Amino acid sequence: MASLDRPSKSLGQRLWSFGCSLKLAIALASMATALIMGGSLVMHFNPAIFSGMEQEIMSRWLPQAWAQAPLLVLWVPLSGLCVLLFGINTLCCLIDWLFKIKARWRKTGEYLIHAGFILLVIAYLWGSIGGFRSGPHRIFPGERIALPNMPEYSLQLDEFTPRLEPSGRPLDMINRVSLWQDGELAARALVRINHPLIHDGLVILPTSFGQELQGFRFHMPGRGYVDLAAGSRLPVSPETTLVVLQLLPDARQDGQGRVMQVSDRLNNPAMLLSLSGPAGQLWQGWYFLRSPLPGALQEAGLALRPTEPLYKTFSLLTINRDPGDKLALVGSMCIAIGVILAFFSFYRKRAQGDRPEV
Amino acid sequence: MSKTLLNLLFTIYATATLGYLVHLIWRRAILARTSLALVAAGVLLQTGLLGHRWWVAGYLPVTNLFATLFFFSWALALIYLYFELRYRIRATGLFVMLLNLVLLGGALPRDTRVSALIPALDTPLFSIHIIFSFIGYAFFAMAFSIGVLYLCQARLSSVMLPDLPTLRRINEEAVFLGFGLFTLCMIAGSLWAHIAWGHWFSWNIKSVWSVLVWMFYAGMCHAKFIRRWQGGVYAWLSIAGFAVVLFTYLGIGLLLESNHPLE
Repeated sequence: MASLDRPSKSLGQRLWSFGCSLKLAIALASMATALIMGGSLVMHFNPAIFSGMEQEIMSRWLPQAWAQAPLLVLWVPLSGLCVLLFGINTLCCLIDWLFKIKARWRKTGEYLIHAGFILLVIAYLWGSIGGFRSGPHRIFPGERIALPNMPEYSLQLDEFTPRLEPSGRPLDMINRVSLWQDGELAARALVRINHPLIHDGLVILPTSFGQELQGFRFHMPGRGYVDLAAGSRLPVSPETTLVVLQLLPDARQDGQGRVMQVSDRLNNPAMLLSLSGPAGQLWQGWYFLRSPLPGALQEAGLALRPTEPLYKTFSLLTINRDPGDKLALVGSMCIAIGVILAFFSFYRKRAQGDRPEV
Repeated sequence: MSKTLLNLLFTIYATATLGYLVHLIWRRAILARTSLALVAAGVLLQTGLLGHRWWVAGYLPVTNLFATLFFFSWALALIYLYFELRYRIRATGLFVMLLNLVLLGGALPRDTRVSALIPALDTPLFSIHIIFSFIGYAFFAMAFSIGVLYLCQARLSSVMLPDLPTLRRINEEAVFLGFGLFTLCMIAGSLWAHIAWGHWFSWNIKSVWSVLVWMFYAGMCHAKFIRRWQGGVYAWLSIAGFAVVLFTYLGIGLLLESNHPLE
């Protein structure tokens, strides 16, 4: 009998055959597919648990979500395990093919796709463990912030210009940014929609923008318009000066006269003002801009009428880091080249009557 | 886009479908040839309409349900033409063109206006992603049609339909080409996501199901090596795969919600 003549495989050979097995690949891929199918619906109907999945890397999100609802997130590690085992199985197939490449070189395209898939799995794991996602960070033009988790880096917004349609719909957000590493300029770029700054695994991209109340424009009879913001100094007479100590966009005064901020929105603005002369401070108090100017200021000869608020525009920037992004790009390129080669070899093999074709 | 031209296009495809149906009953070669000519004329007209919309908009206008159904229908008709000219699968055209009529019929009552492009979609990667995506879908739709016909032929053994080995070859080819093109769509989508949102893999439900579509058809490219699955099981898998495609394309948008930019 032929089976008796065939030398029996060693345990190592049988394990290797199992690792390279096509049926194992189909079983693992099917399990991962079924788990992710079910999981995607669990994800959709439990946004409170899964909404943070996009904002965090997997190694940070998963322990938090697990602490909240282990049964609902169980599919994530299970499907991850299946994909990982599937990746190992693909790697075994690739190594097996490499040993037989002389006879099977026509399958280069197909095995480039395998290699690319393995690289993508490794890249995702790498990014999920060693990366971070942060933001959106509110940055004003001229401001510099330290990067989260990377204190050697800082990001400066040199200039910001939002581009709007006549209807007011945002078209683009143009950020001129510079990235500094240990005090040295590492990169400078114009960051806008679909044009991020990519450096050392970092991706810096615009998310949105907004405005913050900076001050007010006032009309002073006989002197025209003056702009006042926190820190502004306004000469009232040769001896007296008005200083703006603080500006609140929405404030209220309680029964004991204490003034507190209610919200960030412009509603009931108030300024803490100080009037000083050669002998020192003459008066300090709050001026609610919806009310008349405080009596002490009127007596000092000051006449101010607020005409319009002054805003300062800020940019919201997202800063992510994925150390595996270059590997993912290499993996993608392998797959793309593999697909093109596989298309050629498919038709060539068909023309030669070679089956199975792929 | 002119509704008259759209109705004309639908009429051309409907007449071609009717021609294939009558050909199935009367078995006149002229009917199949006329139907093929009508499909070719329809594809030409649809290509012209699509090109005109692209030229007017300044970008590939596939950003709403009308436009995606229209593009899907165009890709399916084009791919049918490819298989028809390559394999002369005449009677098969009936089922494929019926599916095409469903797609185009779904597009007809919708708003044909080209909407303003949202800034995140303003990149060539978006156009590449869309083109490969819908041509991939069209190949999967072709594989679905051929899978159904394979199962019919396995029961009927009709002389009007191609033989089982031919249907199997076409099915495998459609799955393989669809998988390859859908892979390129996924790569373009990942590159785009990386530059637009700062991560190349997104956990939004549409992206997750796109990965599932990719894994399913990757599995099918392997499944044909399993002898017992060749033919019948493979045909059933083609049908199941297209159900996954339909859920990813239409089901998520209509039944669920997603933050994918095309939702």
